[in-house]
Amino acid sequence: MGGVEHSEPPLKRVKVPLGDLKNLVGEVSHIVPVSSSLGDSMARSPCSQGAEEMVGMKGVIKKQEFVKIITRALYSLGYVRTGALLEEESGIPLHSTAVALLLDQVRGEKWEESLVTLHKIGLSDEIMVKRASFLLLEQKFFDLLKEENLMAALDTLRNEIVPLSVDVGRVRELASFIICPSQCVALRISSQDGTDANSRSGFKEKLEKLLPAAVMIPERRLEHLVEQALDVQRDACVFHNTLDSEFSLYVDHQCGRNQIPSHTLQILQAHKDEVWFLQFSHNGKYLASASKDHTTVVWEVKESDLVLLKHTLTGHQQPVLTITWSPDDSQLLTCGVEEVVRRWDVNTGECLHVYEKAGVGLISCGWFPDGKGIVSGMKDKSICLWDLDGRELECWKGQRTLNISDMAITDDGKRIISICRENAILLLDREAKFERLIEEKQVITSFSLSEDNKFLLVNLMNQELHLWSIEGDIKVVAHYRGHIRTRFLIRSCFGGFEQAFIASGSEDSQVYIWHRDTGKLLLTLAGHSGAVNCVSWNPMDPHMLASASDDRTIRIWGLDGLNCKGHCSNGNGIT
Amino acid sequence: MCFHEHVHGNQEKMGRIFSVNLEGKIYSCKHCRTHVALMDDIVSKSFHCRHGKAYLFSKVVNVTVGTKEERMMMTGLHTVADIFCVRCGSIVGWTYETAHQKDQKYKEGKSVLERYKISGPDGSNYWASHEAHVGGSDAEDV
Repeated sequence: MGGVEHSEPPLKRVKVPLGDLKNLVGEVSHIVPVSSSLGDSMARSPCSQGAEEMVGMKGVIKKQEFVKIITRALYSLGYVRTGALLEEESGIPLHSTAVALLLDQVRGEKWEESLVTLHKIGLSDEIMVKRASFLLLEQKFFDLLKEENLMAALDTLRNEIVPLSVDVGRVRELASFIICPSQCVALRISSQDGTDANSRSGFKEKLEKLLPAAVMIPERRLEHLVEQALDVQRDACVFHNTLDSEFSLYVDHQCGRNQIPSHTLQILQAHKDEVWFLQFSHNGKYLASASKDHTTVVWEVKESDLVLLKHTLTGHQQPVLTITWSPDDSQLLTCGVEEVVRRWDVNTGECLHVYEKAGVGLISCGWFPDGKGIVSGMKDKSICLWDLDGRELECWKGQRTLNISDMAITDDGKRIISICRENAILLLDREAKFERLIEEKQVITSFSLSEDNKFLLVNLMNQELHLWSIEGDIKVVAHYRGHIRTRFLIRSCFGGFEQAFIASGSEDSQVYIWHRDTGKLLLTLAGHSGAVNCVSWNPMDPHMLASASDDRTIRIWGLDGLNCKGHCSNGNGIT
Repeated sequence: MCFHEHVHGNQEKMGRIFSVNLEGKIYSCKHCRTHVALMDDIVSKSFHCRHGKAYLFSKVVNVTVGTKEERMMMTGLHTVADIFCVRCGSIVGWTYETAHQKDQKYKEGKSVLERYKISGPDGSNYWASHEAHVGGSDAEDV
């Protein structure tokens, strides 16, 4: 075996993390030609007695272990003959003689002998030996009960099992079976499904799990290692943005950047002034945009990805600063700057209700997750909860929000989130009636809640984006930089497949896209001729992104036309 | 070296300006009333500029910072940057980046607002004085 690995000159490796994996894959193909002729094509050197033989380019894989897990995999796959042949040809048996004997005796239900063999394996962990002994004796005990040899069973329990001093609870259970043996037999029969094999395999599994992995190779170990490698590839694929990807073992998985929307598909011109906000509906079928021109436009996303104007909602006397879709996307809430909140029917474009508070302007709005309530931030810093008809249900007074603040409500309706101080965001827990704060050193300008409600993306005055984990331990988990923000309220959002990306507007008229986990800036999309104020990624289509700009237009971004949708390059040029 | 007044950027409002609201005795931009500083944050009222009095504040908000430059003042060489109202873009003063003399280090990180450019807490405005200053620019009464 050694001859084959080193017969080729060492490849000049570029220091690329996944390159080694590729080389390793190449190595494996030499070692296991399952169906080809055995014995002659491979030059075999006898197993070295002294230093342990290693395989692979890095020299970290022990050959013995490698062959053993392959053997195990062959047996698991049902290739018993091949497995046995591999053991013979490599001279590396899957189990040591003692372990093989033990397994044999267990199969033959020879408990006394298996106990003796157990002690011959040479395990150093006493507790483990005791636990294994317990399992074997338990089987002996059950067999005796089946034969109705109660005295012998009791004797086993008293003199062999109890002295082990392990699993005392189970001992009591076993004792109860002596008192009521018929029950035990009935239990075992019911758990057997009519065949002895089941209960045996249950016990065998326990035994296998108990013994150290080096002694009894875990089942599916090879599959597990391969899955781990695929996970690493998956995580390293920063452009991964496709729903139907398949992983091949032949080549490392790597998506090209063509999976991220980067091409302007459409320029929507309907607003007569700066567009400050936009958001896709939950079902991805609509897009709503809010403008300084006091209107909100509802757009429909057609099958062909064409976006068409559906309604222009007029009524606000102030610029519209935010929009929220109802949980079922049938209605919209819009908020005018320090003005009122309006509720609209998406289908008809009608204004269904106007929410206001005498003498106090409203500055933010949100739907209650059950769709039956409206939450709104006020200029006087309080937050109010109304039912759909405008009746005030609850009001949190005090410093809950600021004159400029976003508003978010978690899907379980438990937390209301808003900026309560220049550098702090309030996580108001409705039920427990306590508050938690996210505190920053810089002034906070806006934030965005992730779909799973576990993360908050916070925009800071100093042009940084901080990703906060808000479940459990509240802490910053990532930073994103690169975009420009000096004067305006610029928004950012999560998006793409599994919300693996962060997108943001910027004062330099570009859309910025980062890889969420690594913080790496992937793309900047140029096209707008004014500051990009807000971005929204279609929650149902990871390949569609919308941006709102001071140039009064909205751009719909999609994949570069040259590449087919939904395919990622497999690294060997085949798509 | 004397500095000249200029209006930064464009006068028309573009984008949704992000500004913070202060509470207390507030100094605001004379042109657009955007909050700029609190009376409590005044460090010294004895500063001077071409147009008259100026105050040194430990903290100012809602301003954008211009380019850094070296300026010789009566108290020595300093690295300063002009500051502009975030909303209307008019110049309101300057901020001290670095002071090259030890005894002037206390100014670092602080900002001067020209009394002529801001409205006081009681809404009062200050009218430019016509006193000429030797050596131009910002001086400090000793």
